[in-house]
Amino acid sequence: MDGRGFMFPVDTAIGKNGRMHTVSRAYAPATAQLRITMYDIDSEYFGIYGGYGESLGQFKWPIGMASDQSGNIYLSDELNNRINVFSHEGDPIKYWGQSGSKEGELNGPSGIAFDSGGNLFVADHMNNRIQKFTKDGNFILSFGNKDQDTLNMPWGVFVSGDGFVYVADWGNDRIVKYDSSGEFVRSFGSRGSGNGQFRNPSGVAVDEDGYIYVTDWGNERLEILDKNGNFIQSLRGQATISKWADEYFDGNYEEAEPRSRSNLEPSPVQFGGDPHEESAHIEKLFWGPTSVKLDDDGRVYVTESNRHRVQIYERAG
Amino acid sequence: MVSTSTDVKLMAHLLRRAGFGATKEQLDQYISTGYEGVVDSLIDNEDSSRINNALVRRYFPDQSVTHDTSGAGSYWLYRLVSTDSPLREKIALFWHNVFATGYTKVTNGKPMSDQLRMFRSNGFGKLDKLLLKLSRDPAMIIWLDNVDNHNGAINENYGRELLELFSMGVGNYSEDDIKECSRAFTGWSIANSDYIKQLAVRNSIMPYGKLAWRYEYKEDDHDDGEKTFLGHKGNFDGEEIINIICEQPATARFISRHLYHFFVADEPPVPSWPYKEPQDLEAISILERAYFDSGYDIGEMIRVLFNSEFFKSETCHYKKIKSPAELMGNVLRTTEEFVTPNIRISERNSQITFMGQQLLNPPSVEGWHQGLEWIETGSLTERVNFASQHLGDLSKPGVKKIVQNVMSDEGESISAEVCVDKCLDQLGAIQTSQFIYDTLVEFAQANGIPSINLLKDPENAANKISELMSVVASVPEFQQS
Repeated sequence: MDGRGFMFPVDTAIGKNGRMHTVSRAYAPATAQLRITMYDIDSEYFGIYGGYGESLGQFKWPIGMASDQSGNIYLSDELNNRINVFSHEGDPIKYWGQSGSKEGELNGPSGIAFDSGGNLFVADHMNNRIQKFTKDGNFILSFGNKDQDTLNMPWGVFVSGDGFVYVADWGNDRIVKYDSSGEFVRSFGSRGSGNGQFRNPSGVAVDEDGYIYVTDWGNERLEILDKNGNFIQSLRGQATISKWADEYFDGNYEEAEPRSRSNLEPSPVQFGGDPHEESAHIEKLFWGPTSVKLDDDGRVYVTESNRHRVQIYERAG
Repeated sequence: MVSTSTDVKLMAHLLRRAGFGATKEQLDQYISTGYEGVVDSLIDNEDSSRINNALVRRYFPDQSVTHDTSGAGSYWLYRLVSTDSPLREKIALFWHNVFATGYTKVTNGKPMSDQLRMFRSNGFGKLDKLLLKLSRDPAMIIWLDNVDNHNGAINENYGRELLELFSMGVGNYSEDDIKECSRAFTGWSIANSDYIKQLAVRNSIMPYGKLAWRYEYKEDDHDDGEKTFLGHKGNFDGEEIINIICEQPATARFISRHLYHFFVADEPPVPSWPYKEPQDLEAISILERAYFDSGYDIGEMIRVLFNSEFFKSETCHYKKIKSPAELMGNVLRTTEEFVTPNIRISERNSQITFMGQQLLNPPSVEGWHQGLEWIETGSLTERVNFASQHLGDLSKPGVKKIVQNVMSDEGESISAEVCVDKCLDQLGAIQTSQFIYDTLVEFAQANGIPSINLLKDPENAANKISELMSVVASVPEFQQS
């Protein structure tokens, strides 16, 4: 499958020179659509790479992405239990990872993130822990599965400039902060849909001012907290038509015309307060926000699987 | 052949018909509740708490959204093999077959899943309420073209099938009744209908995936004029038409016959019902009475059915051929492969198609004809291969547990007869003919099971017993219900 567009994308890495790499997870009978798409903020398309399988450069259940300091792209595969490495241009370099539950082994690697030292943190979700590796896959550290602070199927992970590790603790409906040695610092949030609460958070990122951005996946929203975990803002999504979509409608009048007469923003009241249903019916809303990423230019990128797109916001000044 | 108590045989029969079968371990738990108590709990239990929707959405975003049918079908199959409310899934299967709606025209998985959710919620309720929900169901509105049923330009498709296939059956109404019925449902449409129809026809997911569908009543497009329907006259709308339909003895008979066909014994295919009397008129009469006595309550009809002598009678045990969905549900629940959602469910969802039943895509608005039509050369081979392969696979947790139970308390060895008895018992107190039983014993003997030392060579014994299980999966009594 070639060409632009995504099919159930789950994460985006911001690579060298602002090039974006978005991975499409696709789905079981349509594995030909599983790929990574390269493009930039102006919707310039640079091609695709990767595909379904177990060989070099292939993956089955892609889920988390990160870019290292040299611009190489790292991709976790939670079915093959490995980390794939690609060049900035999408050429496969290698993969590493061993299935299991011992230290250094993986069972469902999900979100991944680099620290400033170039080491990779992996949310090892079925082992309910975070593991730290060198970028070549040598085990350094494991944490998050001990005592009262045990993680429950963690998904997204982020390492701040000052070395703290933030984890989207999906099954426990909270964000957990650890220090660089894996010691628990604190957690934010509880289960619910109120301000500062979460329902199965999927991704987390922290900006240079300490603001915490969380894709609150079960509530279909992006929440922003201050550095102490106090609620600042909640966004439900306000997608517009992308350049690629515009070009599609230009060539498909049969769809564009009746669409122009349609009500794509019905009142959410009729959907019983269920955010999944609201997002199914209201196209501009986040639906399945699986990751949040920040760039150096003050932008926030939310990848949403169920609407096959990435919504990009400017951070408030 | 060991003798099984009547209570156990009856409970096993109930669980095969009201669910997807039960292993010995599960049967033991049900027996302690008592037959009538189990019937009540099967009907009255709320939707299953064992279904992990969040994890399904995390792993398989395609299974809960506006995409194609493969995800929606896989999700339903996951529910069939995981639920602890099996009759609720069974009733969804029942109505999916009666109100057969197909993906080929709907081309959007979410409205199909939403329709099934409606069947789970309303399938045990009053028929009038169910038909009202059905008439407002977006998948049905597209499937039978009510979206094109306009004031002054009726489309009869839904009105016709509502009477012919969903409630009364051929011969109980006139062509004029169909037209008047259709007029009453004008304006029962969906929001953004022109756009939705285009997307459905083109099967387009551009640019941001398909939209979800929602019912919309278009008052301007509704024919509010006077209508004459089944001898009644008035400015009827769809709801009043449904009330008249539900009062009809023909409706009571039609629904009773469907319930009998699905839960008790195979009737001839629906198109021949106007010309062939029910095989058990007394049973149908009992169900018809339950229909009117309960105010058209399907749950009460099913309660009467399961507690009736015609259902309990051993003459109807093993007389139905399991549908592919029932067979697959039975096998995968036994093997315990999907306690948590995993990627292999989509392979099973493809496999069930080869057995002749693609979930969410019945062959026509008549649904599947069931009975002997499930069996043809290709589908039989697929059914036997599937069941044998899975029940003979020791890597499956449920199979491993059953084999261990067969070997336990047997000391150094197990005779061929005892081994066969225990396998049949573990798989749900299966009763076979003497010929089949003797054949299984002969196989166990020839496979060397009695000569294996269970204590010294348990691995070999387990392999041989799993091979016996594999053969049991192919016998008629396992393939039947």
